[in-house]
Amino acid sequence: MAPGESGDSDDALAARAVAGDTSAFEALVTRYQSRAFRLAWRLTGSEHDAADVLQESFLQAYRHLSSFRCEARFGTWLYRIVTNAALMQRRARDRRPTESLDAFLPAFDEAGTHRATPEALLLTSRVEELIDRKSLADKARAAVGRLPDACRAAFVLRDLEDLPTGEVADVLGIEPAAVRQRVHRARLLLRGYLNALAKGSA
Amino acid sequence: MTPTCQSGVDLLMDYLEGALAPDVRAAVERHVAGCERCVAFVESYRKTPGILRRATAATMPSDLAQELRELIRAELRKSGEG
Repeated sequence: MAPGESGDSDDALAARAVAGDTSAFEALVTRYQSRAFRLAWRLTGSEHDAADVLQESFLQAYRHLSSFRCEARFGTWLYRIVTNAALMQRRARDRRPTESLDAFLPAFDEAGTHRATPEALLLTSRVEELIDRKSLADKARAAVGRLPDACRAAFVLRDLEDLPTGEVADVLGIEPAAVRQRVHRARLLLRGYLNALAKGSA
Repeated sequence: MTPTCQSGVDLLMDYLEGALAPDVRAAVERHVAGCERCVAFVESYRKTPGILRRATAATMPSDLAQELRELIRAELRKSGEG
């Protein structure tokens, strides 16, 4: 076990931290800092902003520890703090409206059939082989930043951080059906964007 | 319900998460099984999260971990004194 880590459960550590045990809080920070940083980075798209969000989030968590008692899980509670702080950070920094990705939604004819051919629809899959090229990865990452805030938060938590839909619902304070709706929209927009990237038209 | 590519796409996330009623699920499956476009679309839809996960992979810089530890210790000291 790495130094500063503890074998105790989150709940046990959080209970001790609430009771004033500062080493328990430090152990929680050590346990969650990498995940919290990655989440902040994916939500803000900037290492600098993610660092600010991380520090702000753990300070907030410490100052509001007493309100944690009624929450189900420490991780869920912390993700909520990080998500809110990251969205606030972006709003404060970027006042320009982001360019919508709506043009990348799938297109259908009057009968509800995909307009694109199967070969064209499959192009997105080709990006899988190419995504480790820095130029493509940068563009794909920037596209996540172009999602509407509500979609981006749900997509990052569900698909990039791989949280179950029910936990994403708890983090965002919405119903699981609303999570699915937002994640679905994000997937459609990003799938279409990756497809255009594979064609060289994005 | 008469499934089309479009109605199938609308239901795709719910389908993959097992959130559809059995009859709707069966209708979507029937449509997709006979539709080359939908097979291609579903494959590309399913691959999208993994591609973005790779494009956004990140590791916390080690100096940030150190800064964070100092910041938290200062806060803990402050609240201990207060």
